[in-house]
Amino acid sequence: MAASAKDRQFLAVIGDEDSVTGLLLAGVGHVTDPPDSQRNFLVVDSKTETSTIEKAFENFTQERKDIAIVLINQHVAERIRHSVDSFADPFPAVLEIPSKDHPYDPEKDSVLKRVRRLFGE
Amino acid sequence: MSGSVGREPVFPTRQSLGLMKSKLKGAEIGHGLLKRKSEALTKRFRDITRRIDEAKQKMGRVMQIAAFSLAEVSYAVGGDIGYQIQESAKQARFRVRAKQENVSGVLLPHFESYTEEGINDFGLTGLGKGGQQVQRSRETYARAVETLVELASLQTAFVILDEVIKVVNRRVNAIEHVIIPRTENTIKYIISELDEVDREEFYRLKKVSNKKHRDTAAADAEIEAARATEGEKNALEEEETPEAPDVLGEQEDADVIF
Amino acid sequence: MEGLFFNVNSGYVEGIVRGYRNSLLTGQHYSNLTQCETIDDVKLQLAPAYGDFLAALPPNPSTSALAGKMTDKLVAEFRYLMAQATGSTAKFLEYLTYGYMIDNIALLITGTLHERDTRELLERCHPLGWFETLPVLCVATNIEELYNSVLVETPLAAYFKSSLSHQDLDELNIEIVRNTLYKNYLEDFYNFVNTHPDLQGTPTQEVMSELLEFEADRRAINITLNSFGTELSKQERRKLYPEFGKLYPEGSLMLSRAEDLESVSLAVSISADYKAFFDAVGLTQGSGFGGASEGKSLEDMFYQKEMELSKVVFTRQFTPSVVYAWMRLKEQEIRNVTWIAECIAQHQKERIGNFISVF
Repeated sequence: MAASAKDRQFLAVIGDEDSVTGLLLAGVGHVTDPPDSQRNFLVVDSKTETSTIEKAFENFTQERKDIAIVLINQHVAERIRHSVDSFADPFPAVLEIPSKDHPYDPEKDSVLKRVRRLFGE
Repeated sequence: MSGSVGREPVFPTRQSLGLMKSKLKGAEIGHGLLKRKSEALTKRFRDITRRIDEAKQKMGRVMQIAAFSLAEVSYAVGGDIGYQIQESAKQARFRVRAKQENVSGVLLPHFESYTEEGINDFGLTGLGKGGQQVQRSRETYARAVETLVELASLQTAFVILDEVIKVVNRRVNAIEHVIIPRTENTIKYIISELDEVDREEFYRLKKVSNKKHRDTAAADAEIEAARATEGEKNALEEEETPEAPDVLGEQEDADVIF
Repeated sequence: MEGLFFNVNSGYVEGIVRGYRNSLLTGQHYSNLTQCETIDDVKLQLAPAYGDFLAALPPNPSTSALAGKMTDKLVAEFRYLMAQATGSTAKFLEYLTYGYMIDNIALLITGTLHERDTRELLERCHPLGWFETLPVLCVATNIEELYNSVLVETPLAAYFKSSLSHQDLDELNIEIVRNTLYKNYLEDFYNFVNTHPDLQGTPTQEVMSELLEFEADRRAINITLNSFGTELSKQERRKLYPEFGKLYPEGSLMLSRAEDLESVSLAVSISADYKAFFDAVGLTQGSGFGGASEGKSLEDMFYQKEMELSKVVFTRQFTPSVVYAWMRLKEQEIRNVTWIAECIAQHQKERIGNFISVF
C-alpha cells in the first residue's frame, strides 16, 4: 500500500461541464504523454451514456495507478451509484462533490452513509 | 453459552492444565491490549468521522463559492470557456503527495497538495476580456480543491480505519467470546476430569482395602478352623485319657485371634 | 442630406431595431427580477419580453439553458434584420457577425489541434458566427490543411493572411491567434466605417468610430493587464493592440512597455475616461486585480461605459450603428439575466445587484 500511495499524485474529475472547467482552472488537468494521451477528466452531460461514465470511473479507480483522488459530481455518482458504493478501496479516494445545479445532499454520499450507519442513525 | 464453544481436544493431564492456564492468562492480556487499541482507534475514528461530516458541509459551501466565481467568469467573458479550458489542459499544476501517519500501529495516508510551479496552461485564457476574473476564479478553485484534498485524506483514513477497527474488534470479540470461554471450559474439563480420576482412585483404594479385610478375615477363619480341629483331636485324645479337662475350671481358653 | 435617402433602403431595419430596443429590460424589470426566489420566477418575469422563446424550457431550467434561449431570441431577431438589410447596411451587419466567427474559428482550430471530432463542436459555435463554409472546417484533419484549403474560403481569410501563417496556428497559443484576428477585425471594421462611400460623413462614421475606438482601447488595456505574469512577451503583446483608438499611438506605446499596474494607469491617463475607471477601482494604488469584492471591477466599468455609449447611439438617426448598439445592449442584458439567475440558483443574493442596467 505504502509504495503505491507514493506514485499517486493526480486528481481525476468526472462531472458536468462547469465543475470540470472550474477544477481544471485550479490546475488539476493532466493529459498523459502521447501516443495514448489519456485525460484525467470526463465531462458528463445529459447525453453521456452511463456506460461511458462507468468506464471512466473504472479507469480512474482501477487501471490508472497515478491517481490519488477521484472527484465525482454527486448527481453523476447517482447514475453509477452501484459502482461507487461497491468501491471500498482506500486508494484512490473517491470524493463526491456538489455541482452548481445540484447542491450537496449528505444523504446520498456513500461515505457519509457509512458514517451514519456506524453511528446507528 | 459456554457450552456451545466446546473445548480444546487435550488430554486431561496436569501438564495440559498448566498449559491451558497460561494460555488463558495470555488471552486475557491480549484481550486487554487489543481492547485498548480498538478504543484508541475508535476514538480517532470518531474524531475523523466528525471531521468528515464537518468537512463535507464545508465542501458544500466552498464549492458553491467556487461555482459562483465561475459564474463571474462567464459573466465577464460573455461566453463559454469550458471547451477551451478542457483542450488547453496539459500538465497538472495542482498535484498531491501522499504521506503516512502512524496511529496505534496503523498507517494512515495523508494527502498533501502542492502546485507544480511553472506550469500554467491557462495564463492567456481571457486575454481579450475577463482575464482577471479567470485568474480570480482559478485561485478560488485552487482553494476549493485544497479543501477537497483535505477531505480526501480524511475519507481515506476513514476507510482504512474502518477496516482496521473491524479487524481489531473481530479479534477482541473472538478472544472475549470464543477463546477465553473455550480455554476456561477446557480448564474446567481438565479439573473435573482430574477430580474424577482422584475419586476413582480413592474408591479403588477403598475397594482394595475392603478386599484386604475380607481376605484377612477369611484367612483368620481358616486358621481358627484349623485350630478347632486340632482342639477336637486333642479332646478325643483327652477323652481317651480318664482325666477330662475341667472346662469350667481355671484353665483358660486359648485366645481367639481374628 | 444623408438622411434623405437612408430610409429608402435601411429605414425599415432601423425602425425595427428601435422597436427591439424598447423591449430591452429596464431598471424596473431588473428590480423585479432580483426579487425572484427561483428560476421559474425569473422565467415568469421575462415572459413579456421573451415570450415564446422561454416556453420550451423545462421547469426550473439551468442558467445556461436560460441564457441559451435568450441568445436564440437575439439570433432570431438579428437574422431577421440581416434578411431585410441591403447595400452598405447589409455589409455593416455582416461585419457585426465577424466577431462571433472569430470565436467559432478559434474553437474549431482548438478542436483540430487536439484531433477532436470537430463535428460535435459545431453545436458549440455561436449561431451568429455561423457562415456557410463553417462546417467545411470540420473536414480538415490537420492545421496545414485547415489553413491552406479551408480558412482562405472563409470571410475571415483576410485577417489570417496578413498576420498568421499555418505554423503560427500550430505553435501560438489559441488566445494569441484569437486576439490577433480580433485586432485585424477591429481595424478592418474601423477602416470600413471610415472609408466606405455610403458611410463616410454620415452619423455612422462618427458613432461607430467612437464605439470601435472604445472597443480597441478596452482590448489593449485588458490584454496588457491580463498578460502580466504570462509568457506573452512585450513584442508579441504589442502586436495584439489594435492600431487605432484614443490611446493610439502614444498610449499604446506606453502600454506595450508597461510592466505593472502603475505604468498601465499612467499610459491610460491620457484619456480622462479610462483614468477615472482606474481611479474608481483603485488600481492606481496598486491594490491588485481585486475590486469586485468591494465594488465594481475594471471589467464592470468598461461594460458600464460600453452600455452608456450604446445607449447614446439611439439618439442618432439614419444609421445602422443602432444595430451594433442594440446587439451590445442585448448581450449585456443576457449576461445580466444570467448573472441574476446564477445568483438566485446559487443562493448568493448579496451580489445580485452586480449587473449593469442603463435604462
